[in-house]
Amino acid sequence: MSKKECIAMLLAGGQGSRLGALTSNVAKPAVSFGGKFRIIDFALSNCANSGITTVGVLTQYRPYLLHSYIGTGEAWNLDERGGGVAILPPFATQTGGAWYEGTADAVTQNLGYIETNDPEYVLILSGDQLYRMDYDDMLATHKANNADLTIAVMPVPWEEASRFGILTAEEDGRITKFTEKPKKPDSNLASMGIYIFSADLLVETLREDANDKNSNHDFGGDIIPKLLEQGKRLYTYKFEGFWRDVGTISSYHETSMDLLGPNPAFDIFSTDFPIMSNASTRPPAFVGKDGDIDDCLVANGCQVFGKVKHSILSTDAYVGARATVVDSVLLPGAVVKDGATVVRAILGENSVVEENVSVGSVDQTKDTAVIGNDVVVGKGEN
Amino acid sequence: MEKVIGLITCNYSAKESSPLSESRPIASLPYFGRYRLVDFAMSNLVNCGIRTVGMVMPYNYRSIIDHVGSGKDWDLDRKNGGLFILPGSAFGTSRTGSRFLLRDLIHNKAYFTRSSADAVICSTANFVYNVDLDRVYDAHKESGADITVLTKTASEKDSDVTAVDAIDGRVQGFRHGVNFGDSMFLDCFVINRQLLLDMFDWYAPTDYLDIFEAMAGDFGRVDVRTYDFDGYVAPIFNKRAYFRANMDLLDPRISAELFPADRTVKTKTHDTPPAKFEVGSHVINSAASSGDRIYGSVCDSILGRHVVIEAGATVRNSIVMQGCVIKSGARVENAIVDRANVVPAGTELRGTPEDVLIKEKSHE
Repeated sequence: MSKKECIAMLLAGGQGSRLGALTSNVAKPAVSFGGKFRIIDFALSNCANSGITTVGVLTQYRPYLLHSYIGTGEAWNLDERGGGVAILPPFATQTGGAWYEGTADAVTQNLGYIETNDPEYVLILSGDQLYRMDYDDMLATHKANNADLTIAVMPVPWEEASRFGILTAEEDGRITKFTEKPKKPDSNLASMGIYIFSADLLVETLREDANDKNSNHDFGGDIIPKLLEQGKRLYTYKFEGFWRDVGTISSYHETSMDLLGPNPAFDIFSTDFPIMSNASTRPPAFVGKDGDIDDCLVANGCQVFGKVKHSILSTDAYVGARATVVDSVLLPGAVVKDGATVVRAILGENSVVEENVSVGSVDQTKDTAVIGNDVVVGKGEN
Repeated sequence: MEKVIGLITCNYSAKESSPLSESRPIASLPYFGRYRLVDFAMSNLVNCGIRTVGMVMPYNYRSIIDHVGSGKDWDLDRKNGGLFILPGSAFGTSRTGSRFLLRDLIHNKAYFTRSSADAVICSTANFVYNVDLDRVYDAHKESGADITVLTKTASEKDSDVTAVDAIDGRVQGFRHGVNFGDSMFLDCFVINRQLLLDMFDWYAPTDYLDIFEAMAGDFGRVDVRTYDFDGYVAPIFNKRAYFRANMDLLDPRISAELFPADRTVKTKTHDTPPAKFEVGSHVINSAASSGDRIYGSVCDSILGRHVVIEAGATVRNSIVMQGCVIKSGARVENAIVDRANVVPAGTELRGTPEDVLIKEKSHE
């Protein structure tokens, strides 16, 4: 893939309000995942691994941590001369400024960035999904089909199809219909929200859409239906690997647990398509004399003096003596003090569970317990 | 500390030869899972704001360069200053014990003349300690000394460590080897830059000596003072000291002192996934680095990055370095397993607590 043949626009401005306390002070793409990663690592790593080295990251909600985490992009080998990562928050012009209203509007407001780079193709991505994908292969499909727009899709169980944006396609992949959350789906191919547009068409379509007062300026809801109506060449790109949108606390928790066990659904150890991150330099994890760890991911800087089972301990997490942690995720710097019990819970960054306090419940009918970032849970507080 | 530049000498070797230091310079000896010994000298300099550091290289510098790269991980990839790789002389690794060989310094005179710094902080690469050099430099300025050497009272005999004889903090001389109670030189000193340049002229005829050997008759006119450091110190010149200094870090008080949040020890970042403690693994009183996969049993040990301990394998009181695989049913006890070794299924590597076994680095 030549340098500016294809650039990526990575949508990372969402609040992720359904992640509740985890996104109270950080944007969803900046939420920690898998012990040492942040959610945006997956999209950025996919770009780097696919040879896409010009990536605009559109940010809006609570961007500080996200911005400092991305930095120059060097952690993903994206600090390239004449390209690399550009952070694109909303900005003002001579005629005023505006927030990003919808996914398409965010890209529309940054058409200048696209025009400056003058690519042939534009890849639109979400910064909040977990998967490995070779976008180069998707681009090859796009070119082979001589498509105007290619949408990555994955087959979902028929009974769940009504929860997704469903694409109906002919045998050769040409899309004939798009239905948002159909009651009676006639296809089980769900849109993954990953698009490759031919750049000229994207620019033209977004300009039109910007003037459409009835549009919500959303790729799924407005742009795709319009292009279908116009008879443009829309094709699917079928993906059949691990893919998760960790949009809710329960899906975040489940997906985290998917990394554990003897044969995890998602192998973060695979080195041929590595997930890169802006790693901190901390000493190795330490397990004390009475520490007991079983089926866990344990990041650098952790100290474990108690019992931890089927859990993820992120960088610098601490589990005190006689404490128990089961089926839980401790985000970076989370502290479980001596004698505390944490079950089926997500502890936010630098949160503290005080001595002998209990958080969460084994009762599967209850929601996963969540402690927000920097929150201290003392006696009688939960 | 814009007014201070750093120098790290790596061009010397331990008197006692061991398979660990035969295959690499002491500076790049792996330490506590993910570090290399030189990380401490580099981090100490960088943590007090120094952004210009010269490193005198031994002839077998491959592993050091591989580790330090552009200096980026220590914030030493600067537009002005940064990391300077300085060639060392062929003398360096001849086991003379000289750590600040004059010839190595004089050959790199340009590094010192091109700087406008007031002072140079010099250090070797195989002492483990985390010191606030800001305080040392302040004491140096306050006292008006020409040279301030970092010292600590020795808790045991060590023939490789240099002893400092001082009266009321004023140095009278240096000796090879320390005994219990001696003041040991921590191989780190502050020297006024102009004095260092003057010394290059004074001592040019004896450039085969260590700078402090050359100074022997001059402690009357050169004002050398001590700065006593009271933190954890491990000089690493032999296998025993190396093993113990690793094991010391299984004491959380010592690791907290060496790796404080406000003076972090920087090292090359590799960006590997967290360690995975698999179902049925059994790990106590041990340290595990990122990328490890542990299925078996590990006790009182330190694992480097990307180590695999298969189910049924046992590791006790040992150091297992990066990339090793301990196969099912193998036993490793009182041993140092150097990089990239595969310990076959059902086999045993066993030393004694007093004399640990070294399995040398695999070159495959």
